[in-house]
Amino acid sequence: MTATVARLFSFLLIVLGTYLWIGYSITELTGSGDRTSAAVDISPEGGEVIYWGRGRCFTCHSVGGQGSAVRGPNHGQFGEKFPLPMGARAAERAQERSEKEGEEFTAVDYVVESLASPGAYVVKGYKNEMAVVYAPPISLSLKEIKAVTAYLMSLGGDLDMEAIDTAPGEMTQQFYAKISAAAAAGGGDPGEGAIVYEDNCLDCHSLNGEGGEIGPDLSGISAKGLKFISESILQPVKSLTKGFETYVVFNQDGRQTIGLKTRDDASEIDITTANGDVVTLDKADIKEIKIDDTKSVMPDDLSEAMTVKDYQDILSFLMLQKPKAEE
Amino acid sequence: MAQGQGRGIFGARQEPGRLARLGLAALVVFGLVVAANPALALEENVYRQFMGIDSRRLIWFLAQMHLFFGAFVLGVPLFAVIIEVVGWNNKDPKFDKLAYEFTSLLSVAYATTAALGGLLAFALFTLYPTFMGYMAGIFKDVMFMYALLFFGETFALYLYYYGWYWLKSDRSFAANLQWVFKVLALLMAGFGLAFAFGFIGPDMRVDTRWFILLLYITPTAVGLWIIRDLKSSHIFIGVLLNVFGTAIMQLANSWAGFMMSPAGVDAEGTLVGTVWQAFENVLATPIAIHRMLGNLAFGGLVAGSYAAVKFLAAKTPEEKAHYDWMGYISNFVAIAALIPLPFAGYYLGREVYSTSAVMGNNMMGGDFSWTFIIQAMLVGSLFIISNYYLWSGMTRIPGAQRYYKFIKYILLALILSFAVWLTPHNLPLSSLEVGEMGGSQYHPMLKFLGLMPAKNAVVNLIILATFFSFLLYRRGNMMDAVSIRDQGKGARITIVVIGLAAIALVAQYAVTMLNMDPGELDLPADRAQYIHMIGYVLVFECMAGLAAIVLALMDRGKLGQVLYLSVTAFNVTLFLGVWGFVVMEKASPVLRNVAVSQFLQLISCLILVTVIDAFLFKRAKSLGPLQWGKMTVRSQYALLLLTFVITMNMGLMGFIRSGLRGDWHIFGVMRDTSEWAYTPSNFVMTQQVSAAVLLFMIGCAFMFWLGGIASRKKED
Repeated sequence: MTATVARLFSFLLIVLGTYLWIGYSITELTGSGDRTSAAVDISPEGGEVIYWGRGRCFTCHSVGGQGSAVRGPNHGQFGEKFPLPMGARAAERAQERSEKEGEEFTAVDYVVESLASPGAYVVKGYKNEMAVVYAPPISLSLKEIKAVTAYLMSLGGDLDMEAIDTAPGEMTQQFYAKISAAAAAGGGDPGEGAIVYEDNCLDCHSLNGEGGEIGPDLSGISAKGLKFISESILQPVKSLTKGFETYVVFNQDGRQTIGLKTRDDASEIDITTANGDVVTLDKADIKEIKIDDTKSVMPDDLSEAMTVKDYQDILSFLMLQKPKAEE
Repeated sequence: MAQGQGRGIFGARQEPGRLARLGLAALVVFGLVVAANPALALEENVYRQFMGIDSRRLIWFLAQMHLFFGAFVLGVPLFAVIIEVVGWNNKDPKFDKLAYEFTSLLSVAYATTAALGGLLAFALFTLYPTFMGYMAGIFKDVMFMYALLFFGETFALYLYYYGWYWLKSDRSFAANLQWVFKVLALLMAGFGLAFAFGFIGPDMRVDTRWFILLLYITPTAVGLWIIRDLKSSHIFIGVLLNVFGTAIMQLANSWAGFMMSPAGVDAEGTLVGTVWQAFENVLATPIAIHRMLGNLAFGGLVAGSYAAVKFLAAKTPEEKAHYDWMGYISNFVAIAALIPLPFAGYYLGREVYSTSAVMGNNMMGGDFSWTFIIQAMLVGSLFIISNYYLWSGMTRIPGAQRYYKFIKYILLALILSFAVWLTPHNLPLSSLEVGEMGGSQYHPMLKFLGLMPAKNAVVNLIILATFFSFLLYRRGNMMDAVSIRDQGKGARITIVVIGLAAIALVAQYAVTMLNMDPGELDLPADRAQYIHMIGYVLVFECMAGLAAIVLALMDRGKLGQVLYLSVTAFNVTLFLGVWGFVVMEKASPVLRNVAVSQFLQLISCLILVTVIDAFLFKRAKSLGPLQWGKMTVRSQYALLLLTFVITMNMGLMGFIRSGLRGDWHIFGVMRDTSEWAYTPSNFVMTQQVSAAVLLFMIGCAFMFWLGGIASRKKED
């Protein structure tokens, strides 16, 4: 028996040895694990650390012969397909973009746009599938995005740290604002948030003149702050807007109607219920009408209906709804 | 009762009980700690170390060891009960003895699992206090339920094991008592129906609902229904043991799932939904399904390795015959679980992509792409070695030599499929190599083999080839097929009913495909043709299935089997394999429908062909008694190798599943800010997994040794 066990464990050790050898060989081929970087400076070196580290850019992109991912464009000079490295290519792509859009794009604008709004101008032959880098799970900060921009611009381009960091152009500033708004909202994606808004809010709320009128107009809502918006979604009853109070109407025959008062004239009132139905009531039939500040017409189960991602996305979208100058 | 029976493999009653109590005590303390900690999601993460050891690697190791023993403890009772039922139904004491022998392995493993679970809980709470405080805040109710279920499992296990001979009588209970159980079974079945149709828990995910229905409610109802004497009551206790064990696994999986796909909480980790939402997160049930099948295969193979060790050390032909048979049964159970496992893995992977494209990309095209290549090597090896063991087994079957000629073709199909499965989409190449390939990182031909349609096609072929090996093995000893017509109405009705049910699986999806609006997949209307084509293929499959049934009823069953197997092989491997590329190019969201259709056709084929085969060779004339024990030593090493490989694979899969979160404790909610928040290399993974496998195997050897002491004592 002892001899049998000894033979079996020798066999096991050979199997495990083979397993270790495979692990070692593959690690030699592909490189070792990456440690998360500590806080980095806004510099090409800092950006490089993020690119090959927690930014996870390397899972889809390579830089020349460095890396093996091909899902996204190679950021280095590589074969016939990529004759220019990213920095130089950005200037060329920005030129194309300017001609197409009729707006002035700089190389930095192009790179920042690619990070802030990756679907805006996708390289031909590649899918619009890049993750939003400032949203979870990547969640790069504005500082880290500036560092990655610096790194990409340093790859054969004219590196202008002022244009990236201290004095960005107007277009880059807009993208930075978008990223900051998203970061403030927990890192949601405003583009996805717009879809969530259309699916869940548009029927009742208007935005820039479009949408329903059951709920308050959300144009310029960001001025009310993140806490208010967040509370309005999760616990609508805690943040009722004046003019959108919930009325409870008791008829003489005991029937009860709950909703917003959307018309009030001498003989009749209209109550718009939560599902959008308009109920016209004769004032003579009304026994009692009162405002109920414990109820809101807005659904109170949105926290269950939405995923965490939906919630973050819509917050970031609403935080972008800035008041117009004349307001 | 013979000496030693009821005492367990220690031969001393108190030892396993003491260890189990230790585990329980650990769990109780764990519960108290849980209760004492509020949710701490927003606090700065605190990390500690024990004796300067890397905390992440320590937790990784302990969790892996706990999971190895836990998988064994969950897997073995599953097939122990199935084998006991077979013995009970056939009145064959040989099966009952085998089931008891399997169960005897459980006692020590159970106590060890509990002790390791307690150790893991202590390590987590002391080394990752903030993270565990947060998890405890969210899941405190579930954690208490876990502890209660643990009690249930403990009592069920010990009653099942120690009560084996006490509850062996087949003297019927009084009729009234039997009716009480039947009424309870009907009530449970009624509850199950209400549950199935959504009257209970209407908002539950479909997969969670079916998991609970098939693994908790149905077995309990069936278990109650069959109670008529002490032996059937014992079987019911075995069913309860499995229900408790599976429920414990599901609860723990919900925590692992929550860490990957948090639900019910906002971006700051505050619980804004319900505990049920957090529990029923997107990945909880897919992980549970995958683990359930994995545990069954794993349990089967560890028990198989026990049989192999005993076979190799056996001194008499009788012992060899017994352990050869035990090894065969274990391998059979493992293959039965291995066959659907790739599909469960596909479903889990799909849900990972649905949760986060970043996580999905990282899995298949990022940090873990090469880990998946290693995984493909291991899984491919599992299938090839399982087949080798079956072929070796044919040498002990008089008459099986008639089928040897097919083995080389099966081997060729397996090797080719394995090669395709191993082929990555792109390879890390030097600039020179890229230049030689025309400036592309993709090989002009091999690049296609690295894509999902090719992988799906060969996985199906591997499963079909393994199934074909099993068919050859099964009929090796049979002289000629018998007439199905002569077997009476029962046989014909069974073939028709089960056959139609299998075909209905395919037909319902055919209807779905033929009526699907491309808009549902965000595709333009002109892409409907790519969806409809799947429907036509499925209709063709249904027609072949119907033809197979008709042929079987006309006593041309073999022809029916060949027809259905050929059509299925053509459809799932060749046609849909190639069509998958077209779909990928023109309508990629349809690719998942292609995979589902492949799976349904394959399952339908396996069911129908097996049913026809069962009747085709029912009471067929034997070509001589099976020569149990006449197996080569090599075949036993194959059985052991299977155990080693599946254990290494489990460790590897655990690394991938956990590593997908990247530097997040809870993906997108709580970041891992420790110094260990990085993805280790594949070499580190193999080191860590190898150490755990080695220690686990030493633990198994210890268990087997104790088992040997118990048998010797019994013989004395």
